[in-house]
Amino acid sequence: MQSRLSDIELIEQTLAGNQAAYADLVRRHQRFVFTLALRFSKNREDAEEIAQDCFIKAYRSLLAFQKQSKFSTWLYTIVYTTSMTFLRKKRVDTDSIDDENTYIQLENHSSGLKSNMAETKSRSYYLQQAITQLLPDDAAIITLFYMGEQSLEEIGQTLGIEANTIKVKLFRARQRLKEKLERNLKDEVKELI
Amino acid sequence: MNTIEERLWNYIDGTCTEEERRAIDLLIADDEGYRSKFEELLSLDREFASLEPDEPSMGFTYNVMEGIRAEHAQKPLKAAINKRIIRGIGGFFIVTILLLVILMLSTFHFTSASVSVHLPESLKLPDMKNFPSGLLLKGFFFFDAILALFLIDAYLHKKGVQSRFK
Repeated sequence: MQSRLSDIELIEQTLAGNQAAYADLVRRHQRFVFTLALRFSKNREDAEEIAQDCFIKAYRSLLAFQKQSKFSTWLYTIVYTTSMTFLRKKRVDTDSIDDENTYIQLENHSSGLKSNMAETKSRSYYLQQAITQLLPDDAAIITLFYMGEQSLEEIGQTLGIEANTIKVKLFRARQRLKEKLERNLKDEVKELI
Repeated sequence: MNTIEERLWNYIDGTCTEEERRAIDLLIADDEGYRSKFEELLSLDREFASLEPDEPSMGFTYNVMEGIRAEHAQKPLKAAINKRIIRGIGGFFIVTILLLVILMLSTFHFTSASVSVHLPESLKLPDMKNFPSGLLLKGFFFFDAILALFLIDAYLHKKGVQSRFK
């Protein structure tokens, strides 16, 4: 029955001292929070650490949640802030994600998989691979728009940018994703020939 | 001026105006090139929308809840102190000091030549000689100083927590 409760109802129960309600809230949002963290960290272990940190921070600040926006939008703001802090701490040069070396590294990684996964590879595999090659901001916008089902205004609220700027950024992110997808597919065809 | 792709994405997302939408409807119906571009972008849009979120490890929720429990357990004694009691003690001392200051000022008689103090006859001040070299007074000020430091610390801590997500 608990799963039918809305986010706000679960928050109210949590604030009343029911920790199990918060566990339900975590279960409900963990996949997306983890995916969003993964877009920034590019590493599963780090993404899991960021995601856990976000849920603990959200729990701590639950009283500060004004309920004026969706809980998910508020939570994604925490994910964005925490991920940016993580990137700064790790001194990851975000530009390097797109440079040639990283691309070669990702290609090599995929080449290793090719030998035994050739049959199981689908277009969605290449799409996931292309997303990992995007800049963190581009990948986050695509993820928020398509997976998080967030409106341009909500994404703007999460990233602290105007909705119109998000519209332009989304367009560019889609262009880059399309280019990377086409390049990956072209490389794959070349290797098979 | 928007490019064709930009206009088509706005059309697919539903973020274009009614006028633009009608114009694009016509272009898709009449222009073969425009139509094929639209179909290409629409198929990409469906592909992007079909992306599935990644799954964290099995013990993810458990780890989060453990983290929260651990944080509660580590809560320092300072944070567990009832703030009302602290404020009450602070208030008591402030009121006491204020009353003493008011009483002292009210007994001053300012004249142009000299300042003389006339205490009310009914007021019997304790003999200051009985105090062991002002030790009680020093203790009182020391306690006040500690209390002030504690309140400043609590205020700065609160400010720090508030600014964490700004």
